[in-house]
This record gives sequence, structure tokens and C-alpha cells, in this order.
Amino acid sequence: MSRRPTPVRMLAYHGLMLTISAIFLLPFYWMANSAFKNNAEIFSNPVTWFPDPFRWENIAALLNRDDFPFVQQFLNSVFYAGTVAVLVVLSCSLAAYSFGCLRWRGRNLVFALTVCALLMPTIVTFLPIYIAWSRIGLTGTYWPLITPFLFGDAFFIFMLRQFFLGVPRELMDAARLDGASEFRIWWQIVLPQVRTPLVIVGLFALVYTWNEFFLPLVYLRDREDFPLSVGLFTFQSQRAAEWSASMTGALLTALPMVVLFLFTQRLFQRGLTTTGLK
Amino acid sequence: MGAVQLKAVRKLFGAIEVIKGIDLTVEAGELVVFVGPSGCGKSTLLRMIAGLEDVDYGSVEIAGKDVTEAPPARRGVAMVFQNYALYPHMSAYDNLAYGLRRAGMARADVDARVRETAALLQITELLPRKPRAMSGGQRQRVAIGRAIVRKPEVFLFDEPLSNLDAALRVEMRSQIARLHHDLRATMIFVTHDQVEAMTLADRIVVLNAGRVEQIGTPRQIYHTPANLFVAGFIGSPAMNLLPATVDAAGGLRLGWGSVVTPDTGAHSGAVGQAVTLGLRPDRLSLVAPHASQARGLVTLAEHLGDESVLHVQVEGGPQITLKLRGDVAVRLGDRVDVGFDLKDACLFGADGQRLPAAASA
Repeated sequence: MSRRPTPVRMLAYHGLMLTISAIFLLPFYWMANSAFKNNAEIFSNPVTWFPDPFRWENIAALLNRDDFPFVQQFLNSVFYAGTVAVLVVLSCSLAAYSFGCLRWRGRNLVFALTVCALLMPTIVTFLPIYIAWSRIGLTGTYWPLITPFLFGDAFFIFMLRQFFLGVPRELMDAARLDGASEFRIWWQIVLPQVRTPLVIVGLFALVYTWNEFFLPLVYLRDREDFPLSVGLFTFQSQRAAEWSASMTGALLTALPMVVLFLFTQRLFQRGLTTTGLK
Repeated sequence: MGAVQLKAVRKLFGAIEVIKGIDLTVEAGELVVFVGPSGCGKSTLLRMIAGLEDVDYGSVEIAGKDVTEAPPARRGVAMVFQNYALYPHMSAYDNLAYGLRRAGMARADVDARVRETAALLQITELLPRKPRAMSGGQRQRVAIGRAIVRKPEVFLFDEPLSNLDAALRVEMRSQIARLHHDLRATMIFVTHDQVEAMTLADRIVVLNAGRVEQIGTPRQIYHTPANLFVAGFIGSPAMNLLPATVDAAGGLRLGWGSVVTPDTGAHSGAVGQAVTLGLRPDRLSLVAPHASQARGLVTLAEHLGDESVLHVQVEGGPQITLKLRGDVAVRLGDRVDVGFDLKDACLFGADGQRLPAAASA
């Protein structure tokens, strides 16, 4: 039998949780607060906790700047993150189907090697891969950023395989007897059974790619090609004194993911518990 | 409808041989039941016929064609699974139509075939429903429909009734028997339920550890088991298997000293030969002390209404089981005298094989 916590313990628990939450939320609040102030208001003493007046015009000003093609970079981010999310879902589910649902010689060895890729830091393989893309002449484009996801991602393959193992084998056997090819079984029979995990993987990939900074910074050259993560960084580097514009840009960059999270937080939680990250 | 012929088929999972060279012919239109304990290989053998497991050695022929290397869909087989295996995201209609569409059948023909099958199984009203909106019995009927709709050469059933409750199981069993009669289809049915095996089968194949122990009609399997395994496995309660030795007068000296002489006559077996006497529980009865062939203590009394099953620990001997009338007034702990009716007794040699009639006559 579990003991009912005393009111004092409850109070202490919730007080601690609220304090920790406040510490984590404070930078985000400061960013959102500063987005609607001018520079003088941001650095006023004493600190003001709410914008007064609320400067909505900061948003319009940011969107119309010549030195920060925000809309173009936003569309770049949507293209980059969206394409990667779709590719990750397709390629990883195909690999996970093979590892989880098909029997072939050496399957476990190949899966173990795939999981080993999780242990390999990106930076270790970065240089030879960069040189290869450079020789092909595709640096400065999105090809080096997107193409690798055609071949899956070790973490998402590992995650999806766990879900695929839960799909009854008899469903696939029945489809084989019905004359479906393995590709058709994957597409028409198995994927509909794992829709939620696929959405979870897609969301994880979307958020991860939206926030990806290092690879776009290295591979892309033109400001018009940058995704928001890199675009915002370069803008902040060049306009260090324009805190208000930087904070507005940061807010607008973070906002899509925050909204996405608010609508799908249950899926995120399920994904985190499934992968043992929580 | 086609016959199925297995020629020396073997299956290995790694170093473990799970099917050890099976030869079997299932005639066209026959309903054959595979029975055996868990892990004996009956489902594996069925999956090998279906093409869902590779045949490592030997060959499989269906309707006279060697299909050993053919993919499942090209073998002319349809299978009903234990857990129904209906596609959960599709309606019953789409479940039935899926295989026909894969075969490239025209839309109108698919519709006609699906509705014809649904009418046969009385599942027309279920066609728009998804599996989650059906009961277990309805799902199983749709699963059977999915097999029938393709008009295969051979139907394969992998323990299709084991997920159903007792009443539904009886209903579905009679439906399968009726289907077999109406379609005159070749059917292979895997079960571990002896009642299913005895009631459905034209012939039963008893499997153990990847080998065929006996093939025969239900009556043959029940009354003349080929060996100790079949004798012990078929029948509920199981046959009493009593160690004995052949004595000089041709009788059998049982382990606790009693001597009995089977009605089949004197034994030609050597004096002193170790044998096992097999007696069905309904061949044992309670008798007066002067007619007793075994005396013992009742260790369990199961009163099932129309019959009672007594488990008796024989003094100086093994535990035996009696199947008696339901109104017998015996309780746990009673001391009883048991008599044997040796008319249908079976006799097994030291190697576990049934002694041929000449030896036991």
C-alpha cells in the first residue's frame, strides 16, 4: 500500500518543481518579452517584466529587413526539416521492417552494426564525408544535408524496430498468402499498424532538423539558402547590438516548434518513454 | 481440390532439427488433423506446406505440382490463423477482397465473389465492419471467409478455435465440418485439442518431436495406438500404462503382483519379457475385494455430472485412472478395489511399440 503524502511534503514537492520550471522557462520568457520591446526597454533599469507598449511592429520590421531574409529562411527550414522528417519515416521504417519482420542471414549482425553507429560522434565522420561531397561539387546545396537520411538514422531505426516487433507476424503471413510483395506488406499492412510511432519519429526528426545548426552552417554558403537556425545566428553575429530584432527572430524561429509541441506533447512523451529517454 | 504430398521433409532452425523427415499424403478432399504436444512441430509443418517456412530437405507437392520453392501465394493454399490475423485497419469486405485484388481480379468479380462467400458464411452484415467491431466468433468466420473466397486447392487451419470460448468452439467446429462436407475441400487442421481432432478428422496424424508417431482414422488412433506415446497422448483421461512381465502361463504379471490374461489369448512373447499393458480408464471398474486386480487409495475424485474420474494409487504399483458413472459414491481417501476389463487392452513391447496381433494373440 502506498502512503498518502503529507501536505507539507506536497507543498515542498510542488514548490521545488515550480522553481525548477521557472529556471528553465526564464530564458524563454526573457526572449518572448524582449521581442516586443525596443533596445532601451530591454536594458532599462529596473527590469520591466511586461512590454509596455507592446511593440507588434517589431515583427513586421523583422520580416521586411533586407539583411535578414526571414521568410525565405523560414521556408528553407520548413523544406529542410519537412523533407528530412518524411525521408526518416520512410527509410527508417523500411529498415526497421527488415530488421524486425523479415528473416535473413546476418540480420542480427547488421542490426548490431547499425546500432553501433549510434556510438559514433558526427564529428568523427564529418571530415571525410565533407570531402566527398566537396569532390562531387554539391556543397552549397541541400543534397549533403538531406541525402544521408535516405539511408535511415540508427536511432530511429532502433526505435521503430521495437514497435515493428509488436506487429503480429500472422498479419504479414496472411498478406504473403494473399499474394502481397514484401514492399506492399510494409506499406499496406504493417505501416498502418504503427501509425503513432511513425508520427512520433517524424516529429522527433522534424524538431531535431529544425534546430540543426552545425551541418547547415558547414555545407551552405549563401544567406538565401540558410535555414533559420543558421540564418538567425549569422544575423545575430552581424547585428549584435540589435537585441530586439534578434529576440523577435528567435521567438519566431522557436514558435513553430513550441506550437507543434503543445499540440503533440502526448506523442512526444510516449516517444520518450518508449525509447527509454525519460 | 488437390492432394498434398510431403516427401521426406525436414526443417532445421540453426542446429536444431524440428521436422525430422516426414512422409505424408493428404488425399484430395480429405480432412487431416495434425495433433501433438506443444513444440512437436505441427504448426511448423503446416507453415512449410503454406510456404511460410522454407523446406530445408525434401519436397512438397500440391495437386501434383512440386511447390517446394514456390511462394505462398502460388501454392493454391489458404490459411486460417489462431489469432484470426485479419487486417485491423480494413473492413471485413476489404479483408476478403485483398487477396483477390492482389491476384488481379476485376472489381465486379471481386465484389461478386466476396458477397457469395459472405452469404455462404452468413457474414454479409459484417462486411462493412472493421475487426475491432466484431466478436471473436465473428472474426473467426470472417477469417474463414478470407480463406474460402480465394477457392484454394488446400485449406490450412492453424489452431483456429483455440481463442474461442467453449460454446463458440463447438459451434465453429460444426461449421468447419459442414464446410468440409459442402466444399469437399482438402483441409489440414492443426490442433492440440483431442476432441477437435477426433470429431473433425478423416485421418489424424500424431506428431511428436518432429516425427510422425502414427497416421490413422480417429478410431484406429484411439483403439489401436501404434506406440506408448500415442497411447498416452490420445484419450482423456489418458490410457493407463501398466508395466508387466510375460509369465510362464502366457499371462501378464503386473508390477504389484497381480496376474491378468488379456482376452486376446496367450502370448508368444518370451517368458520374462518386459511389456506395458494399456487399458483405457473406462475399462476399469470398482469391484468386490474377491475380484480385485488392484487395490489402492483414491487420491483424486472428479465428479463431472454424467461421469466420475477417479485417480487411484495402487498399493505397490503406479497411479491408475478410472472413468465411471457419474453417480458413483467414492470420495478422496477411500480405499477401493479395481477390476480390469481386458477386452480392448493394448500391449506394448520394451521398445514402446505396440506388439503385433500375432504376438498378443
